[in-house]
Order: sequence, then C-alpha cells, then structure tokens
Amino acid sequence: MKNKMKAVIAFRKICKAKGTGLSHYILMAGKEK
Amino acid sequence: MKQTSKSSSKASSGAHLNTGNGPTIMPVDIGHSTYFGLMDPDSAFWSLVAKVKLSEALAGGQELMKTFRLGRSRFLAEMDTLRGGLIPSAVYFNPTDLCNLNCSYCYIPETMRKGGVSMTPQQLVDALGILKEHFARTLPKRTKPQIVFHGAEPMVAREAVFSGIEAFANDFRFGVQTNGTLLDDEAVEFLTSRGIGIGLSLDAHVDRIATRTRTRWDGSSIFDLVTTVMRKLRDYPSFNVIATVTRENMRCLSALVDFFHEHGVGVCMLNPVRCTRQGARDIRPADHEIARYYLKALDRTYELFLRTGRKLVVANFANVLVSIMAPSARRLMCDISPCGGGRCFFAVSASEDLFPCSEFVGVQDFCGGNLFTGSIEGALSSQAFKKVTSRRVEDIDPCKRCAIRHFCGSPCPAEAHEMNGGMNQPGAFCGLYEEQVRYALRSIADGRHDAYLWDGWDKGTETLIDITSL
Repeated sequence: MKNKMKAVIAFRKICKAKGTGLSHYILMAGKEK
Repeated sequence: MKQTSKSSSKASSGAHLNTGNGPTIMPVDIGHSTYFGLMDPDSAFWSLVAKVKLSEALAGGQELMKTFRLGRSRFLAEMDTLRGGLIPSAVYFNPTDLCNLNCSYCYIPETMRKGGVSMTPQQLVDALGILKEHFARTLPKRTKPQIVFHGAEPMVAREAVFSGIEAFANDFRFGVQTNGTLLDDEAVEFLTSRGIGIGLSLDAHVDRIATRTRTRWDGSSIFDLVTTVMRKLRDYPSFNVIATVTRENMRCLSALVDFFHEHGVGVCMLNPVRCTRQGARDIRPADHEIARYYLKALDRTYELFLRTGRKLVVANFANVLVSIMAPSARRLMCDISPCGGGRCFFAVSASEDLFPCSEFVGVQDFCGGNLFTGSIEGALSSQAFKKVTSRRVEDIDPCKRCAIRHFCGSPCPAEAHEMNGGMNQPGAFCGLYEEQVRYALRSIADGRHDAYLWDGWDKGTETLIDITSL
C-alpha cells in the first residue's frame, strides 16, 4: 500500500488509558490469563 | 516539565512559525525519494510532506498547519503526562547477584556476579508482599503490576523465584529474563503452564560468534544449551529473545534475524550494548557501523514477513515506531526523557536495595533505600532517584537542538554517567537513533510500518489527527 500519491502523511494516536497509562514491559512479562 | 505556551505573551502572539512565540517546525531529510519531514520537537508532532509541496504545506492557511496549531496544546499536554505524570507499575527484580555465566559486557560488577548474595524463598516472598502492598495503594484497581525477574541470572535462585510466582500468581504479571542455561524441562513446564513471560539471551546464530561474548566462567560455550531451550519454547506466545549488539556480532544481525524467525520467535530485541562498564565499551560498535547492520536486519524482518506472513517484531525498533505514531502508547521507556527508571519502574537488588533501574545495580550512589528497612515512597523521592528522573533532553547538548529528541530520549542515564561523565551528557548511540527514526519515518511513508509492529499495537488508542492532503 504505497503512499506516493498523498501530498501529506501526518497522523497521531493517543493512548486512552488513565493513571499509569502504560504497561512498561509488556513484551517481556506474561500476557494476561 | 510543563511545556505548554504560557510565557512571554507580550513579546509575541505566537502567530508565526519559527519566530517569536510561534512553534518551531524543523525540516528533516528522512532519506526518502518523495517525502520530507516537518517536525515540532517539543510536541513530537511530525508530518511527511511531498517535497514538491513543502512551501505550500508550511503556509499558514493550509490544513496541515491549521490542524497542527489546533492540536498543539493537546500534543504538549500528552507529552507532559508521558514525561512527568506516570507512576511506577513494574519492577525489575534481581533475586540474586550471582550468575553462572561471565558475559564480557555485563553491567553487573564481576565481584557481585561471583560472590554476591541470593534471596531465600522467604525473603523473596516477603519482598513481593511489600511490593504488592505498595502497588495496591498506588495503582488503579484494574492495573496489575509487573515483576520481571532479571539478572545476574535469576534462575540461580530458582526455588525463591518459583516460590514467589506461586505465592503471588494473581497479584502480578511475571516475566523472567534468563540466559536459559538453567531452564530444564521442569522449569519450562512451570513457567509456560502459568503464562510467565520468558526472555532468553542469544547474540548470534552460530556458536563461534555467540561464544565471543557469552560464555561460562571457564570460557566454554552455552550455544547448544540455549538453542535447545529456544526449540522447546517455539511459538510460546510470551517468549522473546534479546541479542546484545556489539562489534563482535553486528555483521551477523540479518542472519540472526533469519535464525530467530526459523525458530518461531515472534519478538526479539536487538539491543545496542549498554556501555556502562569497560568490558562493554571495549566491544562498542561505532554508530555508523551498527546502524548499517541494524537497518539491514530490519529490512530482513520485512522480507521475511512478505515471504511467510509471519512477523518477527524487533521490539526496541517497534517502540521507536510507536513513539512516533502514538507517543503515549509506547511500551519500553528507555527512549524518552526522563527515562522510565525510577518513575515507570524501579529495580530491587538481591540485597533488597532499591535502584531506579537494573543498570544502576552496583552503583551505590544511585541506591535510593532498602525495601525492608526503608520505604518505596522514600526511595522514589530520594536524591539518588531524582538524579535519574530529572534528566531531560532539554538540558543535554546536542539533544536540546534535535528534532527527534522525543523519539530517542538520549538513553541511557547510566551510560551518560558512567561513560560520558555526567547525567547531562548524551548516551552512547546517538547516531543509531538518528538512523532508526529516519528508517521508521520512511516505513510510514511507504505504508510498511505495520509489518514491524506487534499485532494490536494500537489497541486502546484513539486517532487525534490523520491528514493526507493539503
């Protein structure tokens, strides 16, 4: 899916979680059972 | 930390880009044939603009700049939260100082790895009990804190580690970062049946190269042992492998990526060697060299995905990519300043001492207190921790002038302190980050970025902006 025809590419997403917001080491710690 | 525009309003209305109080938009050549980058470093706003449309895009009346101006205060607020509004939810837990290996680049001092202490099962259970109470007070009810058993080699204290996992199975999400040599069938069964994250370490696809950096104390190889464990863990969903990239193995990164993919690894890290100790600095690759091989390895993961439909996510690169597209959805917290050390996570040593990060274990100046004799809150607010949590790219040269400073964060404070002589010095691999970010932006320009990311990476996010035309 090439973007060559677009004059601009700009997007941004925001994490909706509140408080800590982040799961720091999700790639390491086990997934939720 | 607040960056929101609040001052000097008398001097300038901020109506114009790059003058007065107006936001700074920096042009960045990303090495793409069609697109050029435009970035606001403070808010981590970025856009890729067709080169022939640059002047048009920068004109005040166009949608891109209007959207940027409208959204900027929200972007800044998001960065403020990311950089100053989080609280710890994870712990690197070192149950022992000891290691059965003698890797040349290890950041734990040799005296500790040879003659240090280990926790008893009761000590470890007591320590986790204190951590559980702390997180029950500080975290939202639905957030489960994470404990990553780390090293030295945590499986040296296997009985203690397993006791802790059994006692607190419902209270934490657990992971074990291990060299793999002590993972017998029983241990694999114990960990996998409980869904525990398992990270192995392997630096090369062949014994001859892997053994240059990772061996037993007598210098003998562990390659066959580790690769046997890799085969046992094939396709286990909470399995990853970390390779530490040095001068000794950088030329084989693409072959290593092939090897991981063949062995059913879904997530790996290609971590540039952490240069906190002389042994690591002795095999530190030059930035331009590591970048060259690193990007080739990323190319290879993309080729493998196209050919097989199966991803091998290079997690530390994926994190850079996410930091661009969704700054607050990033997972690893090394690539932002202040880094995650002491504010998103902290480390517990085998002596129950508290450090901002495992990288500082053994550097007593960074000990913030003791888990049993002090308080976690006391450690988090200690001067030792504040040295790390107050380190900001805005205070570091050249980072203060860098357009991509919030996609990099100038890691790592331990390196800055131990190698470069101060917390306000840059880390070790500035050039590698420059190239990674450019590569990430090119992959976005070409619509290839999803191939580098874990499935569901944007779960729980909402789209703030999505612009495709002027």
